[in-house]
Amino acid sequence: MSSFYISDETTFEEAATGGVGVFLAGGEIDYAASPQLKEHITRHIKAGTQHLVIDLSPATFIDSTAIGVLMGAVGSLREAGGGTLSVVCVHDNVLKIFEISGLQAAITLYRSREEALSALTMVG
Amino acid sequence: MRSQAATHNGTDSLSSELGLPAELSQLAVARRFATQAAAAFGLDGDGCYEFVYAVNEAVTNAIRHGLPDERGLIHVSVSEEADRLTCVVRDCGTFIPPAERLATSSEPDVEQGRGLKLMQILMDEVQLRTAPGSTVVYLSKVRP
Repeated sequence: MSSFYISDETTFEEAATGGVGVFLAGGEIDYAASPQLKEHITRHIKAGTQHLVIDLSPATFIDSTAIGVLMGAVGSLREAGGGTLSVVCVHDNVLKIFEISGLQAAITLYRSREEALSALTMVG
Repeated sequence: MRSQAATHNGTDSLSSELGLPAELSQLAVARRFATQAAAAFGLDGDGCYEFVYAVNEAVTNAIRHGLPDERGLIHVSVSEEADRLTCVVRDCGTFIPPAERLATSSEPDVEQGRGLKLMQILMDEVQLRTAPGSTVVYLSKVRP
């Protein structure tokens, strides 16, 4: 069994009010799991989240379909009102996949959630 | 529905095969199978991750774009030969090149078309052998 899970760190209301939504996604994000990741991102954008932080610290595996979902999210957030996608990632193997797939060039990567949030505060 | 067999072919080669129902829940099974094969072969942490990643991509493609056999199975086999570990993923679909598939897909282009490229970067050799009703991907990793 794949161990994928999503855990909201902000409510949709908080995310819409403050503009910054944060959720945690962990385990193995494969083709069985990536539709749930996409649905969650879509819910955030529809609820009014402008800047989305996805904390992938507990994710050990992210396949090409999940990379595609993250690439799609970059465009959707931008089109929905100049929003951004920040991703927190700590696993070297996952970072390597981000690099070779080209995702690293399209998103802002952070080593911790605190770093990601403090960068957003400085901009906002 | 799963069958797994390991056979010794002579003294320096070993192979095992897995018949997977063409279902998304089987991706985790394919990854475990690939992890065991890579560890038994002696790939290190990075090499093992790369091997498993590429196998997962090939099985994903088989489930997503291919067709199972008459028993509903996709076939995954792993064989060792000298310093080379090869995984073969076989389905009964007719291969459609990604560019052609993207042209008729309802999903956005930005979200698709990375699997084969990633396999090629991560593995030492990737071969695709296609015929009507048969798509076979060979993924090889050479022991460092």
